[in-house]
Amino acid sequence: MPPWLAEMLLSLVAGYAWAGLAVGCAFLLFGLDRVDPLARGAYAFRPLLLPGLALLWPLVLWRWAGLRRPAPPRGPARAAQRRRHLLAWGTLAVVLPAIGIAAAALRAGRPDAPPERLGPAPR
Amino acid sequence: MSHRHLPVGWTAAKRAYDLVLLAGVVGYILAFLHLGPLLQDPGRALDGQSLAIKAYGSCAFLLLTAALAIGPLARLDRRFLPLLYNRRHLGVVTFLVALSHAAEVLGWHFAFSPTPPLVAMLSSEPPPGAAPGLPFVPLGVAALLILFALAATSHDFWLAFLTPPTWKALHMAVYPAYALVVAHVALGALQAATTPVLALMLLGSAGSLLALHIAAALHDRHAVPAVERGWIAVGRADAVPEGRALVVHPPEGDPVAVFRHEGRLSAVSHLCAHQNGPLGEGRIVDGCITCPWHGYQYRPEDGCSPPPFTERVATYNLRLDGPMLLLDPRPNPLGTRVEPLAVPA
Repeated sequence: MPPWLAEMLLSLVAGYAWAGLAVGCAFLLFGLDRVDPLARGAYAFRPLLLPGLALLWPLVLWRWAGLRRPAPPRGPARAAQRRRHLLAWGTLAVVLPAIGIAAAALRAGRPDAPPERLGPAPR
Repeated sequence: MSHRHLPVGWTAAKRAYDLVLLAGVVGYILAFLHLGPLLQDPGRALDGQSLAIKAYGSCAFLLLTAALAIGPLARLDRRFLPLLYNRRHLGVVTFLVALSHAAEVLGWHFAFSPTPPLVAMLSSEPPPGAAPGLPFVPLGVAALLILFALAATSHDFWLAFLTPPTWKALHMAVYPAYALVVAHVALGALQAATTPVLALMLLGSAGSLLALHIAAALHDRHAVPAVERGWIAVGRADAVPEGRALVVHPPEGDPVAVFRHEGRLSAVSHLCAHQNGPLGEGRIVDGCITCPWHGYQYRPEDGCSPPPFTERVATYNLRLDGPMLLLDPRPNPLGTRVEPLAVPA
């Protein structure tokens, strides 16, 4: 991509990250206890959450504002999980060899010019 | 289980796991950096920073492969289960090593110019077709971002905050991350490799993972228990050992663990509410079913964790037909108490 587009993209990412840090810090100080009872009185683990809070800060704000409640607990859907894993590995079983074939084809199509020696061979 | 969140729930096993992991990573990187120059063709010697790039990159790839191999290995052989319990530590270390690789790349291939390194990285790839090969740096960047998202949400807080189904769906992104890493290496470093070592490592790792998952899928196929008028024949009631469980796999739905406690039988979901650990492989401790993975506990009669904890698993109904134990495979609503079935030992 052209450099100006790269700069704009990076500025957007930096803006998102700074907003995330600000929301994350505020959440850790004022919102975490309200959202998660297990966090009350626990402080040592809070810095570990900052990267995730900065990444997911829109969702964090949404939950903090009480606009979305977590879904009620339900039994784990083991069969659905197994199907997802089967789909993932079935896809990889096709994609990974395809990547290998593409790489081999690219490599075979590259002219192998021998390196030109500019001086005497090292001992 | 804990009353409150902790940074890490340290145990002796976790400390040992992390020590071995860190020693392995440091040992691999030091060996690569010191032995690499000795094994290279003197005519094609790499500088120190290029060696560091390859050391961190190959280490991160091998760690990611190991993280993905642990699941099927644990299903094939229970002795690998301890590796599964602390896999999140392996995941976080994998991300940190991959980040080190990225930092070395930025500091070498995209430095020494007025253009900021990140701008240079994003704007340096030629359009497809304009130069030999395909863009491979964006593939690595995408994989790193996924690994960051997984590492950043690995704490138990996120499991509760996102809810387990959403958290698990997010962490399924490790599979496209693996494909992106393979493509990054295959379309990048492999194109200029002068020995077959890298190709063998790539082929061996990916091939081993696929083979392990196929083997685990075949291993997990279970005999379908007989069903009569909706009830499933579990087996002889006296076959359930005291303090342990028999696991039943109904034709549809989740597996069920039938525990015996003080001579009475109770049936609960085989899957722990925490991270779907195998409850049926646990034991009864202090009157509670205890998950072998992280120690989460549930009362056998109602599937509820003892106060102040709030986790719950489904209970199931049992009945006797002579000496045979029958199970109703339809789970009760969470928190439903089912009177334990008294049977002779």
